[in-house]
Amino acid sequence: MAVMVAPENTPVWVNTSRCKACDICVDACPAGVLSMKADASSTLGAIIDIVAPEACIGCNECELSCPDFAIYVAEKSEFKFAKLTDTSKARQEAIMNNGYRLPAQFKEVM
Amino acid sequence: MAFNYDSYLRLEKMPTLWCWGCGDGIVLKAFIRAIEKLGWSKDEVCVVSGIGCSGRFSSYVDFNTVHTTHGRTVAFATGIKLANPTKKVICVAGDGDALAIGGNHTIHGCRRNIDMTLIVIQNFIYGLTNSQTSPTTPQGMWTVSQKAGNIDPTFDGCELAIAAGASFVGRENVTDPKKLEKLLMQAMEHRGFSYVEAMSNCHINLGRKNKMQSAMENLDWIDSITMPKKKYDALSTEEQLNLFPTGILKQNKEAREYCDMYEDIKAVHQGKRGVITQDDFAKKI
Amino acid sequence: MQTREIISTGNDLAAIAAVDAGCLFFAGYPITPSSEVMHTISDLLPEIGGVAIQMEDEIAGVAAAIGAGMSGVRALTATSGPGISLKAENLGLAQMTEVPLVIVNVMRGGPSTGLPTRVSQGDVRQAKNPSHGDYRSITLCAGNLAECYTEVVRAFNLADRFMQPVFVLTDETIGHMHGKAVIPTEEEVKNGIVPRKKFDGTPEDYRPYGVGSDEPAVLNPMFEGYRYHFTGLHHDSKGFPTEEIETCRKLIQRLEDKVMMHRDELEFNEEFMLDDMTGEEGEVLIIAYGSVSLSAKESIRHLRAQGIKAGLFRPITLWPSPAESIRKYTDMIKNVLCVELNIRQYTEEVERVSSRLDIQGLYKVNGRPISPYEIVNKVKEVF
Repeated sequence: MAVMVAPENTPVWVNTSRCKACDICVDACPAGVLSMKADASSTLGAIIDIVAPEACIGCNECELSCPDFAIYVAEKSEFKFAKLTDTSKARQEAIMNNGYRLPAQFKEVM
Repeated sequence: MAFNYDSYLRLEKMPTLWCWGCGDGIVLKAFIRAIEKLGWSKDEVCVVSGIGCSGRFSSYVDFNTVHTTHGRTVAFATGIKLANPTKKVICVAGDGDALAIGGNHTIHGCRRNIDMTLIVIQNFIYGLTNSQTSPTTPQGMWTVSQKAGNIDPTFDGCELAIAAGASFVGRENVTDPKKLEKLLMQAMEHRGFSYVEAMSNCHINLGRKNKMQSAMENLDWIDSITMPKKKYDALSTEEQLNLFPTGILKQNKEAREYCDMYEDIKAVHQGKRGVITQDDFAKKI
Repeated sequence: MQTREIISTGNDLAAIAAVDAGCLFFAGYPITPSSEVMHTISDLLPEIGGVAIQMEDEIAGVAAAIGAGMSGVRALTATSGPGISLKAENLGLAQMTEVPLVIVNVMRGGPSTGLPTRVSQGDVRQAKNPSHGDYRSITLCAGNLAECYTEVVRAFNLADRFMQPVFVLTDETIGHMHGKAVIPTEEEVKNGIVPRKKFDGTPEDYRPYGVGSDEPAVLNPMFEGYRYHFTGLHHDSKGFPTEEIETCRKLIQRLEDKVMMHRDELEFNEEFMLDDMTGEEGEVLIIAYGSVSLSAKESIRHLRAQGIKAGLFRPITLWPSPAESIRKYTDMIKNVLCVELNIRQYTEEVERVSSRLDIQGLYKVNGRPISPYEIVNKVKEVF
């Protein structure tokens, strides 16, 4: 099988040179793991940011939906993913309601 | 460890030329995963595309690849397949490509039931050339060639493929990549002509004046007009209007495949059997 | 050369020639007066394991043939003028991607539907530039039954040598003519096959379009481990789309130079009763090609019997034109008559290469052949 080696102890990682900031992965995540952040060098002025890797449940939705081969998720056999919590869900909802960006109050918590 | 798409990609061509959030990339990924699961080797696969955004599909994957003229994908693929009947031939086309300029080839590919898979990336618009009406553009939508609103009736490619005799017809949309991958696998495994409509977004050229300026708005709209076939079939004809069923819409495993039938022609000319008569097809009728 | 005699028609001979030359794939669409090529080859190919398919339209006919050619097999399509008009875009793709293909065009009256069952040579100019853009057509023109065979064989070898489509023009007269032809034996033809070049190094080093400035692409068959890309877009040495200025310029210049720098390999003419020409007053040079040359030869016998020293120059490769050979005779002989079943389509080329504007012409566009007597009378009238 065609496999790539995961970075050590990492549930989800991105190849930012391929990210076009389309928001699809952020929308696909149920757990508020992903967010867009400002990036002046990007065409759309934003780039993907992994804001809460510890909350990743390994559902792989972001990877499957990314049109640009930019985001990858570790195999469930190799990484112990988190369970979906209310905190994660709340963060996801807040990100969605804030134009795919992590609201400031969450940044402070982290 | 993660699935390594890179081993199927022509990395020097990355990133793709497609716009941010373009569903073409989601179809491409689902296609790669399906090929991997089928265990096909890169050397035995030929990917043929036409003109349009989907035309670039072939240049990104490390198979034997052909980027042909507008609409002629299935015709070129027919030559490749008949000359190499043991190889796997996959066509990729857009809705304008497969249903407008190339409609005749789509019809006759289906009718012959030649073993290939036609993936139609259906985004309801001519994207590459900036928002002209396609055969699948919903009536009433704005297009650059019909700024007063599109009056042309909408065309369902899957219905066409079913009527024309394709032995496998299915539809999924890019908002459900796992289902799309499974459908592509089933289509490619099927011996005969398989028609797969991958409903996709073009928020840039469909969405920009139709209130779907972002990928997600466009994808949410696609979600709202599609539903699994079973659920769709339970609706009244009136309720079905402007909705599209997903999943396998037709599969006939008994239909004879064209390359197989051509072997009979060879057998006749090589003196191995008598001429083919209507009796040979009696059961089918 | 070992030869054999065969009684057949021009269209049948073209089909037989293709099969003898190693063609394994035919795709086409019915069109008068070329359909018999498809009828015959659809019997011959399956017998030897090849495939002949009647496609849904002319465009699909050429597309499937090019597809088979891309995959590495020798492929043929046959049609007539309206079919070439429809196939034009994809012939451009074959020029751009450098895919070998033989197209037999059995010419009929045009423009448009014209005179489907009658003869013309109206597609000579079309054959030079059927599709848009810059490239060089290779167009051969059979002048008798035997050449319906030999020129198709030559076309297959030239297509693989130059890696592009090659036209064989015949016409309704010769396509439907039934008679004896003396042609090379099958063995002779098989021994003369020169297949397309192949790259056999490691796939990493393979550059299908990375060839010398006057060389054709080296396209390996598909499915053999050399995965590359065909595209009608301007492309780089690996076949991938590019807009890089110098790469684009070099590609199109190479399409021109691979043919024009090797015209000597393409030129093929017949010089009939020209060897006693000295340039003295009263000599007549007739330039004709295709089936018209049969009448021209007959007219020359009559003219000579009447004391008029006439001879025929017949280009068999029409494009690229045999410019220097034409000029050799137009420089020497004052009275020049072009005879064509069209209006000045090749005369204009003769004028161009000879730099002479006093070339006389006999043209006929009513679907009927030109008789020897018409040529005799024209010569007496104008010279």
